[in-house]
Amino acid sequence: MLLSLAFRNLWRNGRRTLLTLSAMVVSLALLILALSIFSGMLRDILASATEQYHGHLVISRDDYQETHDLYTTMTEAHLPLAKIAASNPVQGLSPRLRGYGLVSHADSSYPAELLGIRPDAESGVTSLQRQLIAGTALAADDDHGAVLGASLARRLGVKPGDELVFVTQAADGSIGNDLLTVRGIFKTGDSGHDNGLLLVPLGWLQQTLALPGQVHEVALAITDPMTASASANQLRPLLPDGIHIVDWGTLLPEMREAIASFDVSRLIFSVILYFATGLGVLNTLFMSVMERTREFGILMAIGMRPRSIRLLVLLESALLGLLGASLGVMGGIALCAVMSDTGIDLSAWITPISYAGGTLPPRLRAVLELRNLLDPTLMLLFTTLLAGFFPARRAARLQPVAAIRMD
Amino acid sequence: MRHSAIFSFLLVLLLLPTWATAADLRGLIRKVEQQYMGLSSKAVMTMSVRAEHWERSLTMESWSLGRDHFLVRILAPAKEAGVATLKAERNVWNYLPKVDRVIKVPPSMMGGAWMGSHITNDDLVKANHIDEDYTFELIEEAPDLYRIACLPKPEAAVVWGKVVYEIVRPQEVPGRVTYFDEKMAPVREIVFDEVTRIDGRTLPLRMTVQPLDKPGEKTIIHYDSIDFDININTAFFSLRNLKS
Repeated sequence: MLLSLAFRNLWRNGRRTLLTLSAMVVSLALLILALSIFSGMLRDILASATEQYHGHLVISRDDYQETHDLYTTMTEAHLPLAKIAASNPVQGLSPRLRGYGLVSHADSSYPAELLGIRPDAESGVTSLQRQLIAGTALAADDDHGAVLGASLARRLGVKPGDELVFVTQAADGSIGNDLLTVRGIFKTGDSGHDNGLLLVPLGWLQQTLALPGQVHEVALAITDPMTASASANQLRPLLPDGIHIVDWGTLLPEMREAIASFDVSRLIFSVILYFATGLGVLNTLFMSVMERTREFGILMAIGMRPRSIRLLVLLESALLGLLGASLGVMGGIALCAVMSDTGIDLSAWITPISYAGGTLPPRLRAVLELRNLLDPTLMLLFTTLLAGFFPARRAARLQPVAAIRMD
Repeated sequence: MRHSAIFSFLLVLLLLPTWATAADLRGLIRKVEQQYMGLSSKAVMTMSVRAEHWERSLTMESWSLGRDHFLVRILAPAKEAGVATLKAERNVWNYLPKVDRVIKVPPSMMGGAWMGSHITNDDLVKANHIDEDYTFELIEEAPDLYRIACLPKPEAAVVWGKVVYEIVRPQEVPGRVTYFDEKMAPVREIVFDEVTRIDGRTLPLRMTVQPLDKPGEKTIIHYDSIDFDININTAFFSLRNLKS
């Protein structure tokens, strides 16, 4: 009975209700879109930070991730890689060996980092091999090819097909040196990698560094990078003593902070928007309660309890909120659908931005996550109920006689 | 004091500071510099390197001419035989027989280890220019030694904050050299011993390089044979000769 009464009350001043409703719908839809664009940026920058180099999770021994010490290796055959690969969230797994040394072509030599990989395994974890601007990726059976960063290639003056000499101190103290052939050149937008990283076959690097069968780390890709920490906990029991697994948040603390700051911006953004919306709802409900002072007085005089009056007004605001939320969610989903298909390409105006170890591509793209719908919707309902609370309390406290006498 | 290879770089200069204690420091240094120009040597030496994870020994053959030309080639072990380093003026090249390529050591790698030892490429290049890059001060004069502090000139591009030489008297050969970083903490020590008289010259045959932050590691260079004043000229120190 109260519910239908509340519903009918809403439409007694249809224009006002519709105006308030449209403010709610538009603010909710736009907020959903804005949060989804935030999510899109976040995904892009996180993907660039993890999928361009680190992977989502990394397995290594002792303090390797801090020291990058040549001797902190693991015997690949002793790692339970099959079990890890079969684990639920794991999508890709790449054993790697890392070496530092001098890369030389003709008269130019530069210090560089060599990442020994198995090309097919690495492609399941990082996108380096797909960001080529020249040449080809490393083939699975390549035994002395190299794919290197664009700036390094330019400084060395090499193009695909050219020869490189690599010299370093091998693990046995000897002078490790061998020839490489440039296969491809990648460009990530991350100056560190473009300037000094080469991908080389794992077997070749193991031989050159005199570390047969050894790897420094195993990089993993998982289904959802945002759950990396939980996945790390899940995989940890599989690992032998002394072997650790860390997530990208540990490897890239700046990125973790960047994401935390994104979360704070989301919150601030939502609160500002809903403060305005909430005032609008408050205004509507207050006006309608004031107008109906006499009516409430009569209702109370004929025996309606103050509690029911309060409930009635709260129901009105709840109905308004539900209506606004459902329409707003639909609008938000529609806007996101448009923005996720095409997005907005900004590359004509801005270049990629490097930030916190990741690279933000010049585009706006919406990624609809459940929390982008849920958070703003719940906040809208809460705001409307809060805005309904004060008029409801006022209505419930009316004295019947005084209220009836009001004009 | 005129002799070979790395020794000539370090030793020659070691002695410069002793001369520099005299009144006309710069004039003396120039005179000494002239004195060594054109003088040459050929040596066979053994370099033993002990590092945290490995220990190895290399036999090397070296030629030097004056202070700016130096060629060294590994004779053993077989795996690295033929690997060679050429220093001409202030440049360093390495030859790698396995890939048959010559690599010029870039400025950014000058601080890197030379042949896996505790001697850096910079030591090869800069050590024997210490008279140009540093100022000298006699801090102790005892009957059996001089102790001399070398401080870099403000504009000099050098790696050390201070170098302290102990020169043994009366032979005037180096005994110990301590290297300090920019914070004036000692980081490396070179000890010279087995002082022997060869070919009319008195010189230490053994040099031990000790990185002070890694007590378990060291590099020992021992001279097995040295010949002085050999018939050699600058043309010998060519990239072509580096390869053969």
